[in-house]
Amino acid sequence: MPKAWMLGLFHEATPTATAIDHLRGLSISDEQITVLSGMPFRPEIFGRPHYRGRVGRLALLGAFLGLLFGLFLSAGIWLLYPLAQGGQPLVPVPPMLIVLFEATMLGMMWAAFFSLLIENRFPIVKSQLYDPRITEGHIGVLVEADERLSLQVEKLLNANGAHHFQRIIEPERLLEPRRGTWRDAGTDFLSALRGPDPGHRGFWLSVLGIVTLLGIVSMLFAYNLIPFPFPTQMENQVSIAYEQGPRLAAPAAAIPVQGPVLAADQPASEPIPVSPDSLQRGLVLYGVTCIICHGPTGTGSGTLSSFFNPKPADFTSAPIQGLEDDTLFLVVTQGFGLMPSIAENLGVQERWDVINYVRSFKK
Amino acid sequence: MSEPHVSRPIWQRINPQDEHLARQVEHARQEHLLLDPRYPLEMDRGVLDPMSRTGPRYWIFLVIFAGLVAMWGATWTAQMLNGLGITGLKRPVMWALYIVNFVYFIGIGHAGTFISAALRALHVEWRRPISRAAEFLTIFGLATAGMFPIVHLGRAWKFYWLLPYPNERQIWPSYHSPLLWDLTAILTYLSCSALFAYMSLLPDLAMARDHTIGWRHRFYDLLALGWHGTERQWANHETALNVFTYGIIPVMFSVHTIVSWDFAMAIQPGWHSTVFGPYFVIGALFSGVAAVIMVLAIVRATMGLGYFLRREHFDGMGKFLLLLSLSWDYFYFNDVIVPWYGQAPVEKTIFALLTGGRAAPVFYLMLFSNVIVPVALAFKRVRTSIPAIFIVSVFIQIGMYMERFMIVPITLGQNDLPFDWGVYVPYLPETLITIGAFAFVVSLFFISSRFFPLIPVWEVYEGQVMQGLRRIGRAILPERTE
Repeated sequence: MPKAWMLGLFHEATPTATAIDHLRGLSISDEQITVLSGMPFRPEIFGRPHYRGRVGRLALLGAFLGLLFGLFLSAGIWLLYPLAQGGQPLVPVPPMLIVLFEATMLGMMWAAFFSLLIENRFPIVKSQLYDPRITEGHIGVLVEADERLSLQVEKLLNANGAHHFQRIIEPERLLEPRRGTWRDAGTDFLSALRGPDPGHRGFWLSVLGIVTLLGIVSMLFAYNLIPFPFPTQMENQVSIAYEQGPRLAAPAAAIPVQGPVLAADQPASEPIPVSPDSLQRGLVLYGVTCIICHGPTGTGSGTLSSFFNPKPADFTSAPIQGLEDDTLFLVVTQGFGLMPSIAENLGVQERWDVINYVRSFKK
Repeated sequence: MSEPHVSRPIWQRINPQDEHLARQVEHARQEHLLLDPRYPLEMDRGVLDPMSRTGPRYWIFLVIFAGLVAMWGATWTAQMLNGLGITGLKRPVMWALYIVNFVYFIGIGHAGTFISAALRALHVEWRRPISRAAEFLTIFGLATAGMFPIVHLGRAWKFYWLLPYPNERQIWPSYHSPLLWDLTAILTYLSCSALFAYMSLLPDLAMARDHTIGWRHRFYDLLALGWHGTERQWANHETALNVFTYGIIPVMFSVHTIVSWDFAMAIQPGWHSTVFGPYFVIGALFSGVAAVIMVLAIVRATMGLGYFLRREHFDGMGKFLLLLSLSWDYFYFNDVIVPWYGQAPVEKTIFALLTGGRAAPVFYLMLFSNVIVPVALAFKRVRTSIPAIFIVSVFIQIGMYMERFMIVPITLGQNDLPFDWGVYVPYLPETLITIGAFAFVVSLFFISSRFFPLIPVWEVYEGQVMQGLRRIGRAILPERTE
């Protein structure tokens, strides 16, 4: 028996509801009627059964999958590739809660969106029995019935105030199973609204295939199976190993590692001749500035000497007394090793006084 | 006025005989969009026609803004070739204008979600015509903000190392760090906001498909996915919208909290404060609602949408903005009083810098714009005058930008080590990129306003069907169902 699909347009809700009510009198079941509208009407308005879809449950499933993904990010990564970082345990609870929350919400909402598309069979590519006035506030009643009922349905809809009527009759295809194909746009208008749609399945399978393919291709690059001449591969960096030559020349004012020498642009300083006044001043200044490290007898055993390694210089020893005056002056002025520069404590004349006094430690 | 036993379409008006009642009805229809139904085709055309109207002024402005965006591209290229040294970043101010922009643009994105999701959950009906423009602002703001960590990277081409994928280096991004929580949260928020906006758009894309011809028709036909408005489609749509509504509100709160933790987790004086989470969220809503008001005022004026966007909407948003201003004042006071009371030396120097030092102009401008100016919103005359509320919103944008500038570069310049203190001066590259970012958001709005209907007509129509007028005694009052 050929099927007929009919669409009647109404201006507003009450006559639509009455017409749907009367259609039941023609023993047309609820599944054969669909209401098309430009805004969501509550099912009670037209006396329609509540539609309980799966979007909510699928969103919950998505939330669970998101939770698993979040667990992988916050805990799984660390268990796979442990890298102890200071201050936090390997799987810290508060950051894990944050990541779990975000990933769960991500999974829930993405699942809700994609299940909306799939449950509504989007994208619908086959032509539908439709009228653009649906989006102008008119309400459409779409009925699927046997062909012999179609005239009665038309009379009934018109009697209840439908101002427009359309009918399509399926041609003789009695024995073929009702299955829509990707290219079959002529009949089967309502199969996109309910029931499996191979064309629709094909769309989503190909989307999944493309995404998987992109993932595999990018992994090939990530694991260097397809070597790509990235300009910034770490192993191709310029080597800055300092022990390899050539050594750069030292700048002119640099102090060589062997110790202070008379620096090229240092002003030459005339030593002050040794005199009782100079020695007296040196004694006092030594007692203020130097005694704390070098000790009262100049043997390098001052109060702070135990903190230094190597110990402060022993002025009674031959190597120290063998140093030039200029060398001693530079050591005091610039510092040497652990000894800081004393230049801010002693002026130039005062430094020579101290050096004269230090010479007196010679055994 | 509806009488229960006579059914007629909502757009066929009946005026009561009594003159007093008729005047009330007229006033209610003028004030409230949802009590003023028109024939839906008129509403559809009212939204679709401005989308094809692109006069010379439109093109001139679009070219200017697109030029500024191109300037962003050129400056960024120069920065990628020459390194971040050409910017004003130096010790100790390692985070400066780029991070300020990042926080700012994420902030203005929060209002869109609040208006389209939270107000929907609370059944606040005046959100109906404004939710789409607000949601677009969220998406554009987030997209712009998401570029800034990449700009700030210097070697921007390595940004993909931030993503968790198996690789030969066997290095995974560390979820111990707030920067990674930030990445996850922002990706979640951006993708879910985009999906939410697209789902709300579907019925309007179908409407546009049905009322356009040529390339526009094909474009909307593709995007509408074959939406026909069947019961099943609407029911699933409603469920999905509910999942998103109740899901994206906590995500919105979490996103700016996590952005604030980029700062609060560091032991930097002025940053290491536990109140940063809620403080930043309120600041985001504050600047966001002000931005939405600005966008709606401009869209209403330039696209002739005066039927849809009425004084009641700006009044409602203005009240919300005043509430947010007072909340911001409260949270900022919380942030300030605790370190002030503790009198720690470094905090004292920060306060001295802000109240009397080099940063004083920024600080006082911020206080004036955020605390003093919004007090004007207490007056209905200000809230219902679109130029006045626009000016208040501009001040709030300035104030909130100054607030972020104060938090990021200025506070960073005074840390625990006085020898390490520094003063940040924005150089040309980051200034040009900042201007380009603002131009980017504006350009996106320019372009999207001509491709997508900025008013959700299906939601307005639903609201109009669900609301009516009822006579109680001598008054005609609105009544509402859900």
